[in-house]
Amino acid sequence: MSGDDLIHQPLRLKIMAALYAERDGEPLEFSRLKTITQATDGNLGSHLTSLEKAGYLEIAKDFVGKRPRTRATVTPAGRRAFRRHVDYLRSVVEGVDTAEP
Amino acid sequence: MSISREEAASALSQIDLTTERSREMKGYRIAGPILVAWGVIWAVGYCGMGVMPVRQWGWMWLVLDVLGVALQLIILRQYGGVRRRSWKPAAAAVAIIAFEAATEHFFHASSSAPYMIYPGMVIGFAYIMIGLWRMPRMAWIGAAMFAASFAGIYLIPHGLNYWMAAVGGIGLFLGGLWLRKA
Repeated sequence: MSGDDLIHQPLRLKIMAALYAERDGEPLEFSRLKTITQATDGNLGSHLTSLEKAGYLEIAKDFVGKRPRTRATVTPAGRRAFRRHVDYLRSVVEGVDTAEP
Repeated sequence: MSISREEAASALSQIDLTTERSREMKGYRIAGPILVAWGVIWAVGYCGMGVMPVRQWGWMWLVLDVLGVALQLIILRQYGGVRRRSWKPAAAAVAIIAFEAATEHFFHASSSAPYMIYPGMVIGFAYIMIGLWRMPRMAWIGAAMFAASFAGIYLIPHGLNYWMAAVGGIGLFLGGLWLRKA
């Protein structure tokens, strides 16, 4: 078992945790994600892009009235990667041998 | 990748904190409109007590409470929160109403004033408990409701129903908006 370098970065870990916590993979608005992760606009935007490029997230942009809205959803691949990474972290904490065969 | 046990524990702790914060935000998003809806019901009910005869108060509040629980269920469905457990918030509302009705039935107050402030104190207490358990902002709203209801009986003994309409109506309405903004 090995960890995921892309997810392990602190802000990306928070983003994935916030999106993973949404039931049925509901999307989270950018502003809400910003509040939860306590990140700046620019920082959050760049990390969302990295996770989207890896196929872990889907970003949807639309308008509510005249107001632009950006929403992020975790993909099935993202959910699997996050679960694997959490399992890896737990195995490290519990002292399980994580060396690959 | 290779990380130390301390680093892994710290990452897991961050995940737990973020998950908790995410659930808290979602709770506020759902609780906000529910409080606004109950605020309207309170304002209508307490203003109604000012114009309707005492013997009709019970029926009026029964109708309004049923309407409030129904609105709460609609809001919960609309916001997609707690699908599998969607009966719990409605059951909690019914339990609070039943508790109020039962205590009012057994402990006869000397005048109508204690009857008027009692719901505000019970709901305020319930919100404080919810706030201490999960959503801190609810505790502030509950404490304000409890204190304002309690103070009303001494500060505004005449026209207490309109004071409670303001406490419940304006208070819950503003509280709901505050939760939505979280």
